[in-house]
Amino acid sequence: MDRVITAGVAVVGVPVVLLGYLLLGERILERLPGRLQSWFRPYFWALPAISFATIFMVYPTINTAILSFYSRDSTEFVGFANYKYFFTFPDTLLSLRNSLFWLVFFTVFSVGLGLIVAILVDRVGYESIAKIAIFLPVPISAVAASIIWKFMFDYQPPGAVQTGTLNATLGTVGFQPVAWLSNKATNNAALIFVGIWSFTGFCMVIISASLKAISSEVLEAARMDGASEVRIVRLIVTPLLWPTITVVGTTAIITALKVFDIVYVLTAGAYDTSVIAVQMFSQLTSGGHFGRAAAVGVILFLAIVPLLVVNVRRFQQQEEMR
Amino acid sequence: MAEVFTRLSSRAFALGLGAVLLIAGCSLGGASTTSTGASSTDVTVWTAWGGQELTAYQKVLKPFQDSTGIKVHLITIRDSATQLSINVAAGTSLPDIAPGPTIDKIEDWAKKGIMKPLETFMEDKMSGYLANTYPALTSSSTPLYIGVVNNKHYELMVKTQVKGLIWYNKKVFTGTPPKTFDEMLAIQPPSGAKLFCAGLESGDASGWPASDQIDNIIMRQSGEKIYTDWIAGKVKWTSPEIKLGFQTYLKEVSAANVYGGPNTVLATNFGKAGKPLFSSPPGCLFLEQATFITNFFTQDYPNLQAGTDYAFFPHPSINSQYDGNVNGFYDNFAMFNDTPAARKLMQYMSGKDAQQIWVDAGGTLAANKLVTKYPDPILQQASSIVAGAKNVLVTAGDFMPSDMQHAFWKGLLDATNNPSQLDSILAKLDQVQAASYAK
Repeated sequence: MDRVITAGVAVVGVPVVLLGYLLLGERILERLPGRLQSWFRPYFWALPAISFATIFMVYPTINTAILSFYSRDSTEFVGFANYKYFFTFPDTLLSLRNSLFWLVFFTVFSVGLGLIVAILVDRVGYESIAKIAIFLPVPISAVAASIIWKFMFDYQPPGAVQTGTLNATLGTVGFQPVAWLSNKATNNAALIFVGIWSFTGFCMVIISASLKAISSEVLEAARMDGASEVRIVRLIVTPLLWPTITVVGTTAIITALKVFDIVYVLTAGAYDTSVIAVQMFSQLTSGGHFGRAAAVGVILFLAIVPLLVVNVRRFQQQEEMR
Repeated sequence: MAEVFTRLSSRAFALGLGAVLLIAGCSLGGASTTSTGASSTDVTVWTAWGGQELTAYQKVLKPFQDSTGIKVHLITIRDSATQLSINVAAGTSLPDIAPGPTIDKIEDWAKKGIMKPLETFMEDKMSGYLANTYPALTSSSTPLYIGVVNNKHYELMVKTQVKGLIWYNKKVFTGTPPKTFDEMLAIQPPSGAKLFCAGLESGDASGWPASDQIDNIIMRQSGEKIYTDWIAGKVKWTSPEIKLGFQTYLKEVSAANVYGGPNTVLATNFGKAGKPLFSSPPGCLFLEQATFITNFFTQDYPNLQAGTDYAFFPHPSINSQYDGNVNGFYDNFAMFNDTPAARKLMQYMSGKDAQQIWVDAGGTLAANKLVTKYPDPILQQASSIVAGAKNVLVTAGDFMPSDMQHAFWKGLLDATNNPSQLDSILAKLDQVQAASYAK
């Protein structure tokens, strides 16, 4: 009951306090001389948002970075030991390798397929149906998608009835079943495939939208000059789409780096499929090592920051072009 | 914008604001005072149980609450051991009663008086508790594991369970249960079937079923001293005893002996591992698992009856010197605040009547040997194994640092998949051992 009251107070109280802050602050501001007023007002209005961001984002980030230099229970300063652990231990190195696999294959295939599909469906009459089909996996939550694929990848020994869709299909055409998720030759590819399956639709929609914005006059002019369709795609469409592809690509890279749910649901990182985010989670929960988990978090953060910078710059450039 | 605000009465706002803050202050103050004080009417209990286990515990608590009028505030905290350590470290309030902490904390907490010894609060129930609880749960060659520090008991045992049982289909395996491990390996399965079934997949915890198997081997092959020293990180993974344990385990999951070969073992969920016992033709003869596995048998084959369709025999002997070692686990409660209500509850839970309710709810053995009525023949038989045990030894991985435990599970998966790489796998586990036991 106490908690209900506290929650109620938080929900009602926080907005009321905010409103009170603005109201009282404005009354004080009004009495200030004009120049001071216009100088002070933006800061006054931005302050609540800045403090929220500080409390809930900046502070945790800094604290995580600090914790990453401390021991298991954050009581003892250990210097770079947690980072050393991350870069020397076979398991964490393996998750780093897998994250690189994700970064390369997930990004290349989902963006590449998204681009190809967007260009192809642009030229057919059943465009919307084709797009819906490709886009369908996007709204499915990654956990649900992974469970669907868990059934698809299911494995039974040769000779037994195959309950997994893929192995049943293999069986009907006379092949031996494959233990997709526990066989180290196939499992990372299988997981990345699930990622591509669920992300290609997103890439396609964004690229397709930007494709529609390319003026048809440019394309017609090229056709008049006798350029082949392949040449048009290569020399006109792709360069014009390049800003969009960069944005979609960096988003894909960020998604690849922080992928967690697909891996966690399908293999939970077993059989050499762990990735950085799963490593961070298991260091924190099953490992109970706050320092190492924080170090993994910081490494992930540092890996993503440059991409964020690229993305933000792109947006700014596009804004300037307008 | 400013005009909008000034039009509204700012005085009314200030009033409302004050009222809200006042309520907030009151309710926060109220929350912090509820769980303190040596109460004789309220007791706070933490448990990690959920689902059926929680329901069972609520049934146990009901007669206690009805007859004493004491209100039990039961809170399920999945990682209650971790939360306890955090609260102890932070010096914040502890529950009156909660399961004992992880092994590394027991001695320290007992010495600091964070946990109260049973001897100080069980009063006239203490002698009965010691006399009636299975001996392996109150005295052991490895006392810390059962919460005994300086001959004082800090953990009240309420229920127990045995692991490492060899399950079989009574219609398929009709011979006499083997007495030794070698006899078991020598049994000829019917043509087309293999000796064993196994399934190691379990999400994030994949590999744990194999760790149970190897635990049962090592404790019977090299004894409780090696076993617990190994848990404590004092025996290396590359030591001859542990390596021998792995080699013995690998016989159970070799391509020649296990249903579907290692590939199937890795890809099969532990709950589904027993399915081929009952398929026709049968896929295997034996499955090693704890008593809970019967729930999974009946999930796939609802008509199976315990005792007539399936049964188990105890893990066969490997070195007769260590036959008294039984792998199992036990649920316990420790007391953190000595209050009259907490005393009454602890005393109540040690009794035969309370534990009978637990047993009737299914799936567990009592810690009190006066409880003799079990709902099915399987548990009845399992209770005789606990009764005959010299040491009930915990599952090794559960008491290792958790990164060691996970590396152990992973090592077992790798070894099952690639037995030829055993040496390098064990060397890697040594590396984890060196890193994870250090603070």
